[in-house]
Formats: sequence, structure tokens, C-alpha cells
Amino acid sequence: MTGSGPMQGTRVLDLTDASLAHVGRLLVDLGADVVLVEPPGGGPARLDTARFAALAAGKRSLTLDTTARDGADLFDRLAARADVALLTPGDADPAHALHRAHPQLVITAVTPYGLRGPRRRWTGSDLTAWASGGVLPSVGDPDRAPLSPAGGLALFTAATNAAMATALALRARRRTGRGQIVDISLQEAVMSVALEAGPYAVMETPAAPQERTGMRRSTPPIGQYRTSDGAVSIVAYMPWQWEALARWIAEETGNDEVLLDAFAGTPAARSPFVELIDTWVEDLTGRYTKQAFFEEAQRRGIPASPVNSVADLADDPHLAATDAWQFVDDPRLGPLRYPRPPIRFDGDAGTVGAVPEVGEHTDEILRELGVAGDQIEALRSTGAV
Amino acid sequence: MSNASDAPLGGPTGGAALPLEGIRVIELGYGIAAPVAARNLAQFGADVIRVESVRKPDSLRVSGAGWVPRDFDPAVRLDTMPALNFSCAGKRSVALEIDDDEGYAVLVRLVAGADVFVTNMSADVLPRLRLTYDDLRAHRPDLVYMSMPPFGDERSPYRTYRTWGQNLSAISGIDRMIGWPDRDPVQLGFAYPDYVSAQAGTMAVVAALDRRDDTGAGCNIELSQYEMALAAIAPNILGGQLHPDAAGAESNGNRADGVAPQGVYPCRGRDRWVAVTVADDTAWAGLVTVAGLTHLDEARFATLEARQSAHDHLDAELSAWSSGRTDWEAAEELQHAGVMASPVFDAWDLLGDHHLAAREAFRVLPHPRFGADLVFGQAAVMSETQPRFATAAPSIGEHTRPVLRDVGLGDDEIDALVGRGIVHEMGSPDVTLERPYAHWIHTLMRLPWPPASFDPAELFMARLAAPAERAGGGAGA
Repeated sequence: MTGSGPMQGTRVLDLTDASLAHVGRLLVDLGADVVLVEPPGGGPARLDTARFAALAAGKRSLTLDTTARDGADLFDRLAARADVALLTPGDADPAHALHRAHPQLVITAVTPYGLRGPRRRWTGSDLTAWASGGVLPSVGDPDRAPLSPAGGLALFTAATNAAMATALALRARRRTGRGQIVDISLQEAVMSVALEAGPYAVMETPAAPQERTGMRRSTPPIGQYRTSDGAVSIVAYMPWQWEALARWIAEETGNDEVLLDAFAGTPAARSPFVELIDTWVEDLTGRYTKQAFFEEAQRRGIPASPVNSVADLADDPHLAATDAWQFVDDPRLGPLRYPRPPIRFDGDAGTVGAVPEVGEHTDEILRELGVAGDQIEALRSTGAV
Repeated sequence: MSNASDAPLGGPTGGAALPLEGIRVIELGYGIAAPVAARNLAQFGADVIRVESVRKPDSLRVSGAGWVPRDFDPAVRLDTMPALNFSCAGKRSVALEIDDDEGYAVLVRLVAGADVFVTNMSADVLPRLRLTYDDLRAHRPDLVYMSMPPFGDERSPYRTYRTWGQNLSAISGIDRMIGWPDRDPVQLGFAYPDYVSAQAGTMAVVAALDRRDDTGAGCNIELSQYEMALAAIAPNILGGQLHPDAAGAESNGNRADGVAPQGVYPCRGRDRWVAVTVADDTAWAGLVTVAGLTHLDEARFATLEARQSAHDHLDAELSAWSSGRTDWEAAEELQHAGVMASPVFDAWDLLGDHHLAAREAFRVLPHPRFGADLVFGQAAVMSETQPRFATAAPSIGEHTRPVLRDVGLGDDEIDALVGRGIVHEMGSPDVTLERPYAHWIHTLMRLPWPPASFDPAELFMARLAAPAERAGGGAGA
């Protein structure tokens, strides 16, 4: 990253696998120097080309055979001058060993259930993380199995929690002089985004079971409604938002019943009439494209949005007008459209950096460690780097 | 991923101060994004003052809990939504109307004495309310200021638009990836972009405070929630460009690229399920050692490609196997064989989960209306820095007077502002309530909870024991 991010000068060793590469990318966007430590020949994370291109951008690559003695020594020297190590789970007790050897390090580990607790040995994926988060019984259709969000979203919120905790641990170190172990559980990370549809929902109405209601909730209008070219998402939650939508339905479809007091108020008040309300709303949405409905709904003060596919994003007027894309000509992959870093510091989001070649920065990182040129050649000949 | 560590993490090493001790935060938030970011700051040591309007209260306050009658004392109703404990635990609440000149003057005094200001109001509202970075740093030059609107940027054609989190997950492409290939897409019942924006926003504020300590300079942090949602799916955005014909960008049920089989399979009981991911050939080799699945140990399923093309068949096999087991039996047998699996937890399963209890993921904390209430702890767990879990959500206006005194207002000035409806104190402070589910949680979680004034189960048992009374009282049946 080239920008004014506040983590400039922070040295991060990124030892994660592909699943957790988001953590280091979030720190890159804040200006940290993130070194991807890869085995000779490159890590397995490179096999998923798109994911690697998205999440290794702006990192530096160092190849190191940590199973060779010289390689292990070099890793030790790197760790001694680093601030943060992002661990990949799976090795035996790496967090504690590293903490003992380098007490100044903030060591960030993300595991399915955390480093302590009865299920600490369980393995997991993005899907099983969602399953453990208490929310899937209310996602999907009533006649089929619960559905999980896709796209690695459990891993991403684990990464945002991990990066947040890493920043907090670095701040704590300013007072204590000591690093510590950050212990992110994927289960708790999912809970940190989904409790409103889990415990906090059943606590509000304890008798109501969690239920799957497909594209919409049973408290209308909340959810997705079909348009001429797809769907829109409408959340007319506040009473005045419903009134605005009801007026629009009446104007455009000639339906005056929708204005009756019986339907006024919050969504819960309309639940007995859910099928009727949904039919009326789709009478309106079906007359529009999703983008045209979105813009007119917003003009009328109704919270709505198009249900976009990833491909639709290329045509979104906001992203075009706000310079939200960065166009990169990758030497191997060709032209790519990256989303810019999402946080601006003093007006500057910085730019997405290049995707490193395998070991591209090995020499410069070793020189920073004080390893002389002929020593680097010697290490290379033994296969340590 | 897996984790083979047996060693417990160390406990706190003595009374080290929390990382944000001494930092004061003013939050002007609605719903989730800014409030949750500020709650994180509070739990790690900051003094967070939430400035709220009584005329236009936060959406989580307006709703109130479903069981509170609509015509109930509004001052009390505003404190009853359970999710407020998620968004506002550990904060102080000042009720203040900032669109009034006198109210704005009070806000400015608060900001002048603060280190951080956090808001998620829309981009067009901030200049109108004189709440831009430039407006506020005039009163506090080294302020760390964070705005987190749904669509940031004055150049945006959407800058006046109002959205809920569900709208943002729809527009960003997240929702479109969820669903069965032969059905309409489904909606998520939670505001994913809000929460990840809150977590990333907390990170940004903490890093900016570190830099302020080093340089003396404040910071203007702009976090657009829409763009944060795009960061979450950046791999899919690039994947759609590199492999425009691949299925990866479209909804595919519970399946995913690179693993097979993966799915959610039925178990014994009503709406009970187990989620399973066979991540690689090694995991598959483990799966076929599980009793009842050994007949799948065939060469024709040994590779990922083979299992992908036989996915429907393998789904049927796994469903037949799981249907004879409970969700926990199925998950434990598979985990024992090295296969990623989890029961599909519902909300009550989380509350009763012994693993989460061991990690103290839920806390019962003092609450001004309920005596005590349930709060989710912190997903950011650290070996030495223990978050501060002091209080559940504040009542609206609970801390108005002490906070305003603290910035130099006299009691007569405060009284005058209260009289003019510009500031408000906690309404009906003598009214306390009990959540209808308090006993259930107490039993389920074995957490300390205030003694109940009545117990529905006890009443029920008492009725069973007194048939004459039941005959008299049960006429409604």
C-alpha cells in the first residue's frame, strides 16, 4: 500500500493459509509491512488464483524452508524484530512456543473454536463455522435444509475480529512492553455478526421458533421482491417508511386498500396479512427494473436496494462515481478490477499493491535483517531460502 | 483448518491497564455499525458517551421488545430491546437534541473534552448538523474522527440514500451468492456489512490513536459500509473476472468450490441438522472409516473430481446416515474421524453450549431496568488483555446529569435545558421490569441471575398438585 495508513512501520509475519489471508490484507490496507512467509516454490494459497490475487496484494513474499536449520534460524531473527505473527492453525502448539521465544510478539491465531475450551481440537470450515453460530435455522426455505452464506464470510468476520484484536494488543503492548496471544474463534466471530437473528431474536419473542422464510420475512415488507430483471431488497421497518411505500403502491397500481389503518405501524402489525402485503408490493416492484426501483424508492424515503450479482457491481453508478475501483494490469493475470481499500485516512484510501512473485522480496528482506550478499547466496545454495 | 493445542491460554498477568484506558469517545450512532464500534472501544477501556435523541431515537430503541405493550410508558419501552445489550453494553447515555443550537453547544463541549468521535449518519446529514471532521476538529484539533456511512463520499449519487444492513448485503452481491440453484435467492436476517464495518472501524480507530500518541496528529477516518462489504467478497469479485463462466459467483446451495461433499444433512429430531465439509482426500479417507459409511470406501470416490460429479449421490448417502443419529452424535463421530462437522446450532443451543460457557462468551451484567441482562462478551479474545464487562446497555439519558456536570454545566443550567426539552434524564427511573425468559436462561446457562419473582414451571407444577384450583382457574381452555 502507498498511502497514509496509521500502521506504517508495523512489521507483520503472515504465516496463514489461504483461508485466513484476509487478516494480513486488512493490516496491509492500514499501512503495515506484511511479509508472506512461504515454503520454497510458493505456498498452497497460490493455487486459488483469484483468492491469492485479492488477498496477497501489497504483501511481500519471502521463501524460507523453516524445516532446515539455517531457515529456522532466519525465521527466529525475523520474529525477533517483528511486531505481529499471523499463525496458520494446525501445527502443534505453535502459539505458545512462539510466545515463549519472542515475548514481544503479538501472535494472532484463528481457529474453529478457539485455543481453549472443550471443542478446541475440532476442525472446521466456513460452512461449519456458520453452522456453529446459531443463525442457520432461519436462513433458507422452509422445505429444505438450512442454507449457509457463501463467499467465505465467516472467515472474513474472523479476520476483521482478528485484525481488531491485533491492533488492541499492539496498543496494550505500548503500556506493558509485552506481546500476547490473540485467540479468535470462528464460532464467536459468526456470533459477532449474527446474534440479532439468533439469541437476541428468540429473547425478544421467546415462544417463536427460528424459522426459514425464504426470500422474505413473515413481517412484511422485509426481504426481496421480484422486479422485471431480478429482485430488490426492501426493509420498510419504520412506520413512515411503510406509509411512503403504501402511498406509492396506491398511486401506481390504483390499490386504495393498502392505505387502510389496519396495515399501518411496524412490520409485526402486518404479519397476519403477509401474503396480501407481499402480493401488493410485487404488483409494484414487477413494473420496474431493480436499479430503477431502487432509485425511485430512495427518492421517496424507502430503504431499498437492488439485489446485485457480483457481475452487476461493474455497472453500479456509486462505485463508478466514487473511484471505488482500481484497474490493475497484472503481468500474469491480465487486466483486473480491484475494489479499493475500504477505509480512508485523511482522505486517502491508498492503493492496492502488486501481487508478489514467489520469493520476490527474499533478498531485500534478508538484507534488512543484516544478512550479507554472499551469505544470501550460500543460504540459497543450501535450499534454506 | 484444525487446532491441535492442548495447553490452556495464560490468564491476565496482573493489573495492567486496558489499552484504551483514559480515552473518551463520543458516539452519535444509529442501529449497529457505529454503536458496535463504540461498544468495542468501551469494552477495551474507553469511556464511551453515547449521545442519543429522544425525539428521534435509535432504531433499536424505537422497536422495543415484542412483549412490551405498545401503549406502555415510552421512556421504559425504549430500554427493552434485547439487542441493545449487543450494541451499547458498557456505555454511558446522554440524551441530547443536537439539531437545536443549545443542544449543539453542549455536544461541542463534549467533543472538546474527547479523544474520539464516531458516527454512522449518512454522508449528506453530517454537514447539515455541523458534524463534519472540519466542524468538530475546530473544537478538538487532535480528534480521531470516524464516519461510517452506508455510502461514503460527497461524489456518490447515493449519498442521500437510507439503508438497513440487509439492503447493503443485497446491493454488494452477498445475498445473491446464497440460495439453491433452482430457487429464488434468500435473504439474510442480519446486517452482515454493519458488523464487519464495526470491527474494522474499531481497528482503524485504535491504530489512529497509536499514531496520535506518536505524532500528536488526529485523523479523519472514512469507512463506507458498502465498500467494506466489497472487501469481504474481494476474492469473488476477482474470481468473477478471472473465471467469468465458473459457477463460483452464483448461489450453489451449501456446496463450495474445491471441497466435496459439503452439505447440511438431516438428523433425528425436529429441524435438527449436521453441517459437513470433506476438505480433501485425507478427510474423505477418514469419513469412510465411520460406522455406517464404510461402504463408500470405493476407488470411484477417491478424488475430489469424482466426489464432485457424484455429489448428489453422496448427499443422499450422508442424509441416510445422519438421519439415524442426533446432530451431536453425527458431528462427534465425523470429528473423531478427522472430518470437519458441526451440529447446526439454533439460538438456544448457543445459550446452553458448554464450550461457549467455558470461554465465558455470554455474561449477565447489571442493567438499569432489568436488574441484570444478557450480554455477548467479545469475539476479540486475548490471553492477557481481558475486556471490561461492567454494565449492560444504559437507559436512555441515564448519565445525562453526571456527564454534563463533568463538562462544566451547573445543575441550574441542566435543569433549564431539561425544561426546554433539549436534554433529557432517564424517564420513570423507579420502573423496573423482568424479562419473560429470565428463568429459561438461568436454567439453561447456569449463570447467576437475579432471583425470580415468579416461575412459570413452579406455577404449573403447583396447579397439577391442586386439581380443585385448576378446575376453577382453567375455564378458558
